[in-house]
Amino acid sequence: MKSFLTKKPVIFLIFFLFYPGLAISSFASETSSGRYGGQLVLATTSDPKSFNEILAKETTTSTVTSLIFEGLTTVDPFSLKVEPNLAQSWDVSGDGLSWTFHLRKDVVWSDGQPFTSDDVVFTFNELIYNPQIPSSARDIFSIQGQIFAVEKIDTYTVRFTLPVRFAPFLRGMGQAILPKHKLEKAVQDGNFNFTWGIDSDPREIVGTGPYCLREYRPGERLVFKRNPRYWKRSPAGERLPYIETVIYVIVSNADTALLKFIDGELDYYSLRGMDYPLLKPWEERDQFTIYDTGPAFGSNFITFNQNGGVNPKTGQPFVSPEKLSWFRDREFRRAIAHAIDKRKIVDILMNGLGYPQDAAMSPSAGFFYNSNVRTYEFDLEKAREILTRNGFMDRNGDGVIEDRAGQDLKFNLYTNAGSTERVQIASIIRHDLQQLGLQINFLPLEFNSLVSKLTSTFDWDAIILGLTGGIEPHFGQNVWVSSGQLHLWQPRQERPASLWEARLDEIFNLGVQELDENKRKVLYDEFQRIVSEELPVIYTVLDSSIFAVRNKFGNLCPTSYGGAFHNIEEIYVRPEFQAPRSRKGERGRF
Amino acid sequence: MPRYILKRILVAIPLLLAMSFLTFVLMQMTPGNFFDSLKLDPQISLETIARYEQLYQLDKPLFQQYLHWVKNLLKFEFGYSFFYNVPVGRLIAARAWNTFILSLASLILTWLVAIPLGIWAAVRRNSFVDRFLSLCSFAGLSLPSFFLAIILLYIASRWNLLPLGGMRSAYYDDLTWAGRITDLLRHLVIPTVVISLSSIAALQRIMRGNMLDVLRQQYILTARAKGLPEHRVIYRHALRNAVNPLITLFGYELSGLLGGAALIEIICNWPGLGSLMLTAVRAKDVYLVMSSMLMGGVLLLLGNLIADILLAWSDPRIRYD
Repeated sequence: MKSFLTKKPVIFLIFFLFYPGLAISSFASETSSGRYGGQLVLATTSDPKSFNEILAKETTTSTVTSLIFEGLTTVDPFSLKVEPNLAQSWDVSGDGLSWTFHLRKDVVWSDGQPFTSDDVVFTFNELIYNPQIPSSARDIFSIQGQIFAVEKIDTYTVRFTLPVRFAPFLRGMGQAILPKHKLEKAVQDGNFNFTWGIDSDPREIVGTGPYCLREYRPGERLVFKRNPRYWKRSPAGERLPYIETVIYVIVSNADTALLKFIDGELDYYSLRGMDYPLLKPWEERDQFTIYDTGPAFGSNFITFNQNGGVNPKTGQPFVSPEKLSWFRDREFRRAIAHAIDKRKIVDILMNGLGYPQDAAMSPSAGFFYNSNVRTYEFDLEKAREILTRNGFMDRNGDGVIEDRAGQDLKFNLYTNAGSTERVQIASIIRHDLQQLGLQINFLPLEFNSLVSKLTSTFDWDAIILGLTGGIEPHFGQNVWVSSGQLHLWQPRQERPASLWEARLDEIFNLGVQELDENKRKVLYDEFQRIVSEELPVIYTVLDSSIFAVRNKFGNLCPTSYGGAFHNIEEIYVRPEFQAPRSRKGERGRF
Repeated sequence: MPRYILKRILVAIPLLLAMSFLTFVLMQMTPGNFFDSLKLDPQISLETIARYEQLYQLDKPLFQQYLHWVKNLLKFEFGYSFFYNVPVGRLIAARAWNTFILSLASLILTWLVAIPLGIWAAVRRNSFVDRFLSLCSFAGLSLPSFFLAIILLYIASRWNLLPLGGMRSAYYDDLTWAGRITDLLRHLVIPTVVISLSSIAALQRIMRGNMLDVLRQQYILTARAKGLPEHRVIYRHALRNAVNPLITLFGYELSGLLGGAALIEIICNWPGLGSLMLTAVRAKDVYLVMSSMLMGGVLLLLGNLIADILLAWSDPRIRYD
């Protein structure tokens, strides 16, 4: 499973051969002894919104806080298995309800206070389960509204008691633990919701992670310094991390970030498909390497409104009856699936650096990904044939297909205007569907308006959208379970509207309580197969995660799950790049 | 005069309130609220979103939300940003200074360049210089500024001339004060030039027009007929009169000092208010938007007032009492 994912293995081989004191066998993920010092300069597209991990609502914030805080467990970025982190081991009772974690005894907070079970109990009982504090973590750590009992056994032992068996529990334990001694007072005073905001003194923000925040200049940069008290050690016994300073430059415009990367100011740049031909020729001259770690997480799909409900205010149906009858017709959706040219989207929009998506999970999810689902090759003739067989055909010769009642197949297609890529995907799909003989009004909308259509007014026909994804299928249950609020095509059903939706409910219900990974796999494989058969959402394409990293680091081993710097504490700056860059010539040559 | 100023300030208060109310209503009339985007995260429940809404009192009736905001305004509290979870005042303060520096630099550059060019073009009407400047003005007006910004950034990176965006270098804090100023100035060059270029073009045209109008007046003919030297005719008599309309314009420019050029700030990575406000509007971070509107409104009214006062000072014909 541990594969070295780079497009240029040869160059890497050469570099390792010439690097003294490094055996080639240490190639894959075993790490070598590094050098202290140096700096890593990264870019982020926007300011962090808070340094408060519990309140964090979006990804820029969690990118930043993941350097400062850690959880009891972590996920191995190669095998995607759960590994010990702040907890060195755990036991589970026979019924799978009681989990006992044994904490590491050598962990201290960055201000020198010891890390104990009090901090864990505090993080769960006083923060996550505190009704005064809005936190999305609460939703992960509760089942059907019931929370877990968290209790201290001794200074280094914590026990979690679950109301029912909960298979994703260990993965969820990656939840960052926060220091009780720093935050207890704020919670008692009722101030926690406004603590550790972006205007706080960086020295106040204390974590167990490899880095500490040193400075934050709004709109400019975040500077992190090595946490000298970090507990992790290299195989040779050296205290990690190696790199002295990590800087996040805040660059909101991707083109500016690209120029800054070419110029040598940034060490890392996450490529859009269109950047690839621009950057690739300069790899050697400008000393960087482009990594393609495979499909990204997340998704892009088109979905049709199957909501048969009625707007309580106006008494009008959300979707007109004739449209509803098309959208609820599985064969109609299958014909649409055959009419979408995924290959063309990948080639045109992503320079070939993307993947057609068929299953409900990303191939990068590894274990739970089902590669054996029903696929729909691009074939307009076949699509037309399926439509004709089901009574959809052009009867009056105007080039537009009608249903049996003579209604033109005509509907609105929405997407969020903020995402250029999605708008482009939508225009290609629209073109394909028009070829087939459908009439489509394409309406890009501002994100908030789109969300209220999806979650409260329900007055839409078809939407092209993406959702975030991960390696744990259960965390997507809000989409797949018929009562879920994100069950896009017909949310919050009281009873499952169809047999296959009833089966999905059953699968997710069984899957969350099944502790045997292999049995879970069978269940979630079935879920992905059902989705591909019934097509409530029709998947289109996945981006690849491609990024360029300057060739100045050792121990770099990027993966799709973890990105380039998942093992940031082990990465070091090679000696020839350690010298402080001269001020005038700080930027590279062109 | 003081009575006049007082009157203007008193009139400004209901005007500002009406403006903030209008902003509030418009923001609320568009569908959805800030926390809607959370609804598309499969891992966040509606109960959690309700809790967020409760924290920021979004569950209260709209009018009550607005009154609450106005009440806090009297205590100089501008509300909390939903996005950043900190008081809006502090968010704006952290960035307003940066935007101010950039706007001031481009204001100075614009006026220093445009006024002399306008005079020059007017005095040498229809000469090669005039025509060349006209050409440049039209080019400057029609070139989209974001495009120019990207081109300048590219040139700067190609020949390693100037820093690529941002406001300070990473090593800024280690520099001496002279070094810091140089560093800041080097970062200022590209955004300032880009913002100034189109306003130079416009202002130069206006100055030229004003100057031509004045030069046609009979008192200029009289002055020349008296045998006054040409430079005295132009700088003493013509210029003083031609500058009056520009003073009003100057007042408007004051209001733009913190409005800035959001697009250029984003492309040149300038840590100003522009990108903050853009995301605030798009994400419906209501109080951040309202406070920034209020600030813009205050500056506009203040700028107009200052312009009127300056006008009275420069033109003896104008009296307010």
